[in-house]
Amino acid sequence: MQEVMRRASRHRSVALAVVIAAALYVLVPFALRGNLYLMSLVVASLTIGGIAVAWALLGNLGGLISFGHAAFFGIGSYASAILVMKSGWPIFPAMLAGGICASLAAVLVLPALRLKGPYFALAVLAYAHIFRIVATEWKALTGGAGGIGSIPRFPVLLGFDFASKTGAYWIILSLVLAFALIHFYVRNSDYGLALRAMHDSEEATRAVGVNSLLLKAMMLFLSAFMTGMVGAFNAHYINFLEPDYAFSGLWTMLPIVAAIFGGYRTITGPLVGAVVVYLLDQLVFKAVMPIGHQIMLGAMLGAMILWNAGGLLPAIAGWWRRHRGPLAPHA
Amino acid sequence: MLEIANIGVRFGGLRVLDDVSLQVGEGEIVGLVGPNGAGKTTLFNVISGTVPHQAGTLNFGGSRLDAMPAYGRARCGIGRAFQIPQPMHALTVAENVHVAQRFGAGRVDRRAQAEILDLVGLTDKAQRDAATALSLTELKALEVAKALAISPRILLLDEVLAGLEAHGKRMFTQLLAEVHARYRIAILIIEHDIETISALCPRVAVLNFGKLIADGAPAAVFRDPAVVASYTGVPADA
Ligand SMILES: Nc1ncnc2c1ncn2[C@@H]1O[C@H](COP(=O)(O)OP(=O)(O)OP(=O)(O)O)[C@@H](O)[C@H]1O
Ligand SMILES: [Mg+2]
Repeated sequence: MQEVMRRASRHRSVALAVVIAAALYVLVPFALRGNLYLMSLVVASLTIGGIAVAWALLGNLGGLISFGHAAFFGIGSYASAILVMKSGWPIFPAMLAGGICASLAAVLVLPALRLKGPYFALAVLAYAHIFRIVATEWKALTGGAGGIGSIPRFPVLLGFDFASKTGAYWIILSLVLAFALIHFYVRNSDYGLALRAMHDSEEATRAVGVNSLLLKAMMLFLSAFMTGMVGAFNAHYINFLEPDYAFSGLWTMLPIVAAIFGGYRTITGPLVGAVVVYLLDQLVFKAVMPIGHQIMLGAMLGAMILWNAGGLLPAIAGWWRRHRGPLAPHA
Repeated sequence: MLEIANIGVRFGGLRVLDDVSLQVGEGEIVGLVGPNGAGKTTLFNVISGTVPHQAGTLNFGGSRLDAMPAYGRARCGIGRAFQIPQPMHALTVAENVHVAQRFGAGRVDRRAQAEILDLVGLTDKAQRDAATALSLTELKALEVAKALAISPRILLLDEVLAGLEAHGKRMFTQLLAEVHARYRIAILIIEHDIETISALCPRVAVLNFGKLIADGAPAAVFRDPAVVASYTGVPADA
């Protein structure tokens, strides 16, 4: 009986996911066709969203708060651009390599894994700064402070132009959804269970054979990989890179705001948070307050935390339960 | 199988273990007794890899343990029940056993998990939160369950009987005898209650101020003047 109900509810969630995915892939580009500005804002918000999902994965599963994701973003973007321009790689494999390079760079963060809470966050912040300096000084490879221009655009594949706004939207949407799916599967795996156990019972978890340091490192590599991929996407989408842009602290700050606002303990919360936060910022706050509109982001985040510390998605889910009964009715 | 040779541990200036040597054979049950602060838990910490030793060597089943991290020793088959129960707080009782089996034994066998939960009497609480839903007795039972789930070749049990009322103690003693009979696991058990130790262990070792002062059959060991003195605080030669 319970099994039947569980299966029915799972079928319902799968059906719902398919409907939402179809809407995202088809309805959004259709509804926004011709409005290139709005479309570019959506793409940018998903770019933030991709980092936010990766950042939340590290926080949720690895128990690590990072202030340095801009480093992984920047490394991914430079690596992919350089591979395409200097070594003639095709763009999509180069993006993958960009993610891998970000993971490799994360190896340098490993010694900080033993640090707890704010100390880890600060150590990573310092790392991020180092990479920015390297990108500025290693002129032969990165073009130095002047940056790299005319980075190749996404190709035409199967007759479809991925360099178009809709094409870019599909690429970043696919990346972000894939990340969310990966987060979901890892969280529900035995590794997710061990990681959850580790957070407040590290000694007990190690005593039953869990290599907690390795698991944390894997989450760091995974998160860095995802962030690097997003950076690579952005490089080929914007077609221009300079150290102050690619390693900008905004690539750390905005995803954190988005993740916390949307609900960093949830899988899709950071994504929803990114879209809401970024669109509000660009469409509303910027219009009202052309200079210093980021202050409004801070205020909004503060208000959200005061209202519901869990974030937007958990708040909505709670409201829904109170007013409409449970999400999956036991009918 | 477990060979502890000349182990020395210092905390700052405090010498907590001094030249301790002890062997536990395949399937053997050995009691470890000694007054408070004698270094019993520290010896367990050294064996399971949570406290480093400055002197001596550890061998287990033919492999050197000295440089092996704690999780590796668990995978080698060293199962541990902590003196102060340490459940994995975020998980349910069943998940505690599952994680221990999956990572410690390296396989998943639902039937074995159910059998372990049944053996320690936690089947009814399997789906409850380990952090909040268990009494002290049940937490101790979960310690044993986790240690069993890694498919141990030796169990290190640190005062799993302490703090239990007479009935719980009897039940637990019986449980341990059954575990030993069923799985043929070696057991090294710390326990203050001499009666319980004598009933359960054919062999007992005594630690006092970080030194191993006796090792043998309970009847003989508990008559040893040095052991009696360590318990009563009266010097042996007085
Ligand atoms: N991490 C540590 N740092 C400093 N001193 C410690 C540490 N762990 C234990 N000690 C000291 O080492 C000595 C032995 O402690 P241990 O816990 O091994 O004793 P025990 O025999 O298990 O005692 P009990 O019967 O009370 O459990 C004590 O004096 C204790 O204060
Ligand atoms: Mg002790």
